[in-house]
Amino acid sequence: MRTASFVMLVALIAGAAAQAQDLAAFEKRTTVKKLDNGLTVILTERHDAPVFSYATVVNVGASQEVLGITGLAHMFEHMAFKGSDLIGTKDYEAEQVALKKVEQAYAAYDTERRRTTGRDDAKVKQLEKAWRDAIAEADKYVVTDEFSTVVDRVGGVGMNAGTSNDITIYFYSLPSNRFELWAYLESERFRNPVFREFYKERDVVQEERRMRSESSPIGRLFLQFQATAFAAHPYGVPTIGWMSDLQSFSATDARAFFDKYYVPANTVIAIVGDVNSAEAMPIIDKYFGRLPKKPLPEPLRTIEPPQNAERTVVLHETSQPFYLEGYHRPAATDSDDPVYSVLTMLLSTGRTSRLYKSMIRDKKIAAQASGFNNFPGGKYPNLFTFLVVPAAGHSAQEMMPPIQAELDRIKTEDVPADELKSVKTRARAGLLRALDNNGGLARQLALVQTYYGDWRELFRNLDRIEKVTPADIKRVANQTFQPNNRTVAYIESNRPAATASKGEAK
Amino acid sequence: MKSLRVCVIAATALLAFAFPSLTQVKSYKDIKTPALRKVNPPQPKRVQLDNGMVIYLMVDHELPLIRATANIRGGERDEPIEKAGLVDIYGGSWRTGGTQTKTGDELDEFLESRAARIETSGDDDSTAASFDVLKEDFDTVFPVYLDLLRNPAFRQDKIDLAKTFERTRISRRNDEPGEITGREAQKLGYGPNSPYTHQPEYSTVAAITRDDLLAFHKRFVHPNNIIFGVVGDFDPAQMESKLRQAFASWPRGPQAPPPATVSNPAKPGLYFVAKSDVTQASIAMVHPGIQRNNPDYYAVAVMNEILSNGFSGRLMQHLRSARGLTYGVGGGFQAPWDHPGLFMTRMSTKSGTTLESIDALKGEITDLTTKPFTAEELAQAKESVLNAFVFTMDSPAKVLNQQILLEFYGFPPDYFQKYPSNIEKVTAADVARVAKKYVNPNQLAVLVVGNEKDFEKPLSSIGTVSSIDVTIPEGGTTPKAAAAAKPASGNAEGMALLKKVQDFAGGKAKLDAITAVRTTTSASRKTPQGNMDIEVESVMVFPDRQRSVMKMPMGEMTIVMTPEASFMVLPGMGTRDVPASQRDAARADARQEMLTILKNPDKYTFAVTGTEKVGGVDAKILEVSSDGDSVKWYVDPATGKVLRKVSRGRGPMAQGDQVTDFTAWGTFGGITVPTAFTLTANGEQIGSGQVKSVEINPVVDPAMWQKPAS
Repeated sequence: MRTASFVMLVALIAGAAAQAQDLAAFEKRTTVKKLDNGLTVILTERHDAPVFSYATVVNVGASQEVLGITGLAHMFEHMAFKGSDLIGTKDYEAEQVALKKVEQAYAAYDTERRRTTGRDDAKVKQLEKAWRDAIAEADKYVVTDEFSTVVDRVGGVGMNAGTSNDITIYFYSLPSNRFELWAYLESERFRNPVFREFYKERDVVQEERRMRSESSPIGRLFLQFQATAFAAHPYGVPTIGWMSDLQSFSATDARAFFDKYYVPANTVIAIVGDVNSAEAMPIIDKYFGRLPKKPLPEPLRTIEPPQNAERTVVLHETSQPFYLEGYHRPAATDSDDPVYSVLTMLLSTGRTSRLYKSMIRDKKIAAQASGFNNFPGGKYPNLFTFLVVPAAGHSAQEMMPPIQAELDRIKTEDVPADELKSVKTRARAGLLRALDNNGGLARQLALVQTYYGDWRELFRNLDRIEKVTPADIKRVANQTFQPNNRTVAYIESNRPAATASKGEAK
Repeated sequence: MKSLRVCVIAATALLAFAFPSLTQVKSYKDIKTPALRKVNPPQPKRVQLDNGMVIYLMVDHELPLIRATANIRGGERDEPIEKAGLVDIYGGSWRTGGTQTKTGDELDEFLESRAARIETSGDDDSTAASFDVLKEDFDTVFPVYLDLLRNPAFRQDKIDLAKTFERTRISRRNDEPGEITGREAQKLGYGPNSPYTHQPEYSTVAAITRDDLLAFHKRFVHPNNIIFGVVGDFDPAQMESKLRQAFASWPRGPQAPPPATVSNPAKPGLYFVAKSDVTQASIAMVHPGIQRNNPDYYAVAVMNEILSNGFSGRLMQHLRSARGLTYGVGGGFQAPWDHPGLFMTRMSTKSGTTLESIDALKGEITDLTTKPFTAEELAQAKESVLNAFVFTMDSPAKVLNQQILLEFYGFPPDYFQKYPSNIEKVTAADVARVAKKYVNPNQLAVLVVGNEKDFEKPLSSIGTVSSIDVTIPEGGTTPKAAAAAKPASGNAEGMALLKKVQDFAGGKAKLDAITAVRTTTSASRKTPQGNMDIEVESVMVFPDRQRSVMKMPMGEMTIVMTPEASFMVLPGMGTRDVPASQRDAARADARQEMLTILKNPDKYTFAVTGTEKVGGVDAKILEVSSDGDSVKWYVDPATGKVLRKVSRGRGPMAQGDQVTDFTAWGTFGGITVPTAFTLTANGEQIGSGQVKSVEINPVVDPAMWQKPAS
């Protein structure tokens, strides 16, 4: 249901690290099990309070879409709240028949309306009506939001889900006496999801697009930035999808996508909290064992070619300016990933960071200047990105030279030992603080297992950060921060800062 | 045999326990729920010092960290409205401004090298100073924290930084439709100028001084206004003694005032904010609500759940799932702890379904008062609250924060322990009664933010529309409320000094005879790109016509302001109208011109407010006010010469007050005016100028007021 928060989550993982002895402590209370169908389950016991949190990560995101079905990974995420043949229906037998008719009617309508020659508008109208009538018929069997209502009723909190270009994640927390109910509901959701109310939910997703990507200046900017930075790789396509696709794809498309990618071997579930592993694993086997074993989908073929030319995109807006600058970098699994983590912290984490001191504290030309890794995802080669919010009265273009000055410094001068030490100390403490809550930990364990194939990487990453040298930083900065590898996107404000105001007639 | 049999039975029983039944579960209703383990989390220890300070200690050995917060009474609702933003600037520069012995930058290095944090912040009703350290660093960091708590320096450079952030927030406040909706709906609900809707403006931020921040600190930061909570990996007896030692000798101070009162809500009706760059309309409906101590609160809380608890609430089920009208919809009663809150619901929808959505959302609100709450709805709502209650106390930090909250607002310490049974008692009849009592569909202010040309019908088709102008005022335009709150009044000494100033300029008769002035000035102004030289030729025809031609390195710029028109001719860009807010700022500046004031003294009030040395002269400070705006003249009482002018900086680049020092005078046609000046802001010279010629009553070509066709 959410799409935007993802950058943060992935950035957190990339920057996370902890003391080695924490790994030993965590291994003691963590059980990992691979079910016969290939599903991986990680369970970390923490018995302080009678609650638990979980996260399910499916290794599929917008990168697995092709033109025509962009936005479908996220659309499926919405459908995963609509129930199954056992949840959300008054009479599945009859509903199934009605839903089949909806798909037939939609296919006829959609084919006719998308004809580029010889389209019969009267026929389109008539087919649209037939489709809408079929929907009304199918809706008679719906028990609205039964899945979510059950979770709410038994005390579920923080129920949500997210789709990124890389993955899809589902999560919430429950009192620990509901563990078996949870195992039933979570497995049921992926056993036989029923695509009821699909076309209404498609309207909801369009509203989400209007809210996040169309009616928000920063949303519009990110869309252009991504589309400009990637020429070949699907990272150029926004997770939310193109509007024409959101207005066209069908429940049949969604089912095909589900069948191909929602495979147990492509899924990781992490559970953290007041759950006893010896009691929980048989329950997990019982319910998640119901998911049929299927082959893994084939890996993505397209690789983004070297950029070889600077790209710039300018949005002329009535809102205040924003500035984005991105450089292609390797995937999160690359051995240089810890160096990029250190670069992020050196440049923009905290008040001692270089961009803060230069652009915010001293020049006072920016209100925020951050560098982050793995945009829009980390699974494939991606972007090291700077996001700058110019201070009132300052233009986006003014942000360019001070960033370059800092990058030049980092490319030519060794980072002083005490500065590097401070970064490493904070990386260690950062993970420690992130371990504080069940939900956050469950999400991190599931994500790290998915990205790296081993949840322990969450802790091992610290050792790698610890080994980063000033020479590494210079080398990686020089290979990354080059003009031909750069994409710049910014909002240029049509109005002087002080007069930004009501929507003046244009 | 017998014993073996027992064994087998026992083993089977064991198996049955260890492995759940292998029969397929068809429905979640068939799954048995064991009783939840009894939850009885340890409570924090409360200590009250003789000076009134309350301390809560909560041990948590999970991670090797210690975190603490001083919650201090006094917040945004206690700041003067003409200095709205003061608490933002205060919270933003307290930590960064450092202590008497360490600058903020030194603190940054000291803390970040230890992965420690000290932060300060401001809120509606309180401010806070907190720290978060690895436990081994406690003894190093805590003394620094104490120093910051008691001896902040509020260094000017960090006040300026906090002001930069605040001006940036102001400049961006109309960019996101959701932000406009939230803010304006709040203002409709509480009414204009409520202590809960203080809106910082460029002018109110510019008016905030370091002295204001120090005064705010002195007013509120006393042990008897502080509740201090600490949680983490420490020995409680040792920690208590360290805290007693740190705080016990701190003397009491004056008590914080009681909560500010609310409110005078907007009239019910339809309100509209135009925003052109959106594809969705954002809608809010609001009317006054209740306070937390209301005995009906529990029934209202259950109604809130029925209305909008996630996907099981009516709003999501009816407007999102069943109709596909919206992605986000929600709302209910807010019930703040110490003052009445609002009832507010919000949603967004594509422009083409705006009126349909208004109707649907209003329908849901009306249904609360007319459509019976079903037993199923009541059970769903109550069970959701009761079953999720364990999450309100699933960590020591949460339990600690609950106790601090109750202490802060004066609620009994067992409030949360009793909360479930109070929810349990609520009946469907209670919910129906409170809905009728507190929900009033006829009293709603309905706010729409959007692009009306794309709505399916004009808004006016469903009622009279009041447009809200959200234009961000330029720096000089003080909010009307400030003017009303502080009526400018003159004094006799002020009038006498005015007479001196008039006489120095040439006397009343000669001033009255002026109809127009043409001035040529050459000035230099500091900009981020370096110094810029400007040649200005300006013609003023009294009372209200002005034309300035500015020759700058990038070309010539002309600005013409008359009662009929205001336009500018820009280098390479042709003629365009002066934007409304810039025009207002320019007019405000023109009203503060010395000759304008001296010619029309009856439009201003004059008050002597003090004495200050200017270049060896004991100058009298003459405050000249009109329309809530004012300028200060520093006058040599012996001669009537204005030595210095202090005016408010205008616009986003304004760095607080602007000081003009006059250094030379010349007489032209019997009128004496300053002919040389320097400009200073924030103690830094930002410009200077020389008047090259002054012509009194020149011949003025009327064509110069005409807007050229472009």
